[in-house]
Amino acid sequence: MDVLNVEYMLGLVPVLLRYLPLTLQLAGIGMVLALILACLFAVVRVLRIPVLNQLTIVFISFFRGTPLLVQLFLFYYGLPQLFSALTVIDGVTATVMGLTMHFSAYMAESIRAAIVGVDRSQTEAALSIGMTNGQLMRRIVLPQATRVALPTLMNYFIDMIKATSLAFTLGVTELMGATQKEAAGSFLYFEAFIVAAIMYWIVVELLSKLQNYLEIRLNKAYNR
Amino acid sequence: MKTLLINTLLVISLFASAPLFAQDEPLRVGMSGQYFPFTFVEQDELKGFEVDVMNAVGKEMGRDIQYETANFSGLFGMLQSGRIDTVANQITITDERKKAYVFSDPYVYDGAQVVTKKGNTEVRGVEDLKGKTVAVNLGSNFEALLKDLPYADQITIKTYESNLERDTALGRVDAFVMDRVSASQIIKEKPLPLELAGHTFSQITNAYPFHDTEAGRALRDEVNKALTTLRDNGTLASISEKWFGTDITQP
Repeated sequence: MDVLNVEYMLGLVPVLLRYLPLTLQLAGIGMVLALILACLFAVVRVLRIPVLNQLTIVFISFFRGTPLLVQLFLFYYGLPQLFSALTVIDGVTATVMGLTMHFSAYMAESIRAAIVGVDRSQTEAALSIGMTNGQLMRRIVLPQATRVALPTLMNYFIDMIKATSLAFTLGVTELMGATQKEAAGSFLYFEAFIVAAIMYWIVVELLSKLQNYLEIRLNKAYNR
Repeated sequence: MKTLLINTLLVISLFASAPLFAQDEPLRVGMSGQYFPFTFVEQDELKGFEVDVMNAVGKEMGRDIQYETANFSGLFGMLQSGRIDTVANQITITDERKKAYVFSDPYVYDGAQVVTKKGNTEVRGVEDLKGKTVAVNLGSNFEALLKDLPYADQITIKTYESNLERDTALGRVDAFVMDRVSASQIIKEKPLPLELAGHTFSQITNAYPFHDTEAGRALRDEVNKALTTLRDNGTLASISEKWFGTDITQP
């Protein structure tokens, strides 16, 4: 077995760290947009708004039913072939679009489940004291649904951070792309990829800490 | 009076900058960044033979070069969709590719080479590949070369995005096929137990592909002019000497 080239690994850390912000941006922007989209989908599904409900079902079915990589290739390489103006979609935009649509499809379903899961008696109680539908959602249903949905949504965010590693196939040099190129220059694959793996791991660990903190806060009302 | 002055200045600056803008538009060049020693990255710096030649071409043309790196298999997609102007990644001129793109003059003459793990006594050349598993880069011309062999149906071809050198050294495949010069360079400089098996089996000439449009052809002519100058003044030869210790830019 070859000896690990620790010196090379240490030298790689500051280099790869430069690409971590882009990875986090892709996932961060993707997550915010996906959350917004998913909430809209969930509301449409819960309220069964005609036409929109059917469209949402098809959307969710497609984006949940096809691999993210296929979707990214469709956005980036496929669409400009049909409409040449769509060449303006650069790699970063295509990645964010792909992440947003793919993960919003999953998240819509868990948000819907969380909303539906709030006990019916809560709704009845709120209506009996004269709350409007808006107040009912804002003050009673959504806070309780958030608590239920939070762990799964954090799970999707973690998954999304790791999914950004597909962006290099669209020419976006994020953490994974930078690692691949460094590894191809040095032929020290183990060293390069273990450094990248540890970086992803640390980021996800920090997020898990954040998740614990948020869960404790949201559970306060239940810990009597 | 003041407004007039400002307006005049604005108009003058617009006229003065119009041709500058056209020149400032950088040439967008795609490469994998994963093909040592043609294009690779060390400590965040993109370098290699392709980078040096392209920089020289850009300097000759008076245009900045903007490098876009992506996996090799994605490069032609980026060219096709107009996101880059050309590919600098040892693109071999083939009939198939000529149907879709126009090529510059060749700037590298090389041969296809079989490479095996050190000590492999079974595969000593291309004729020994019968019944073997052979690695090539996805979308590369070497896959087509293997399929053209008379005993192609007896060869199992495995395509890679990168990393085929390591897989051959590990013994996951029996051999890989690549161009001779970079294979020699990898064996010389990198810590992998590999060796060349036999002589080259097919001549390859590499050039830059451009869109088959008026703008693409104009760009190609411009690049050709730069290449001719660089060939005549010895720049191409010296870049080749620097990376390979031999001149691969002449037939």
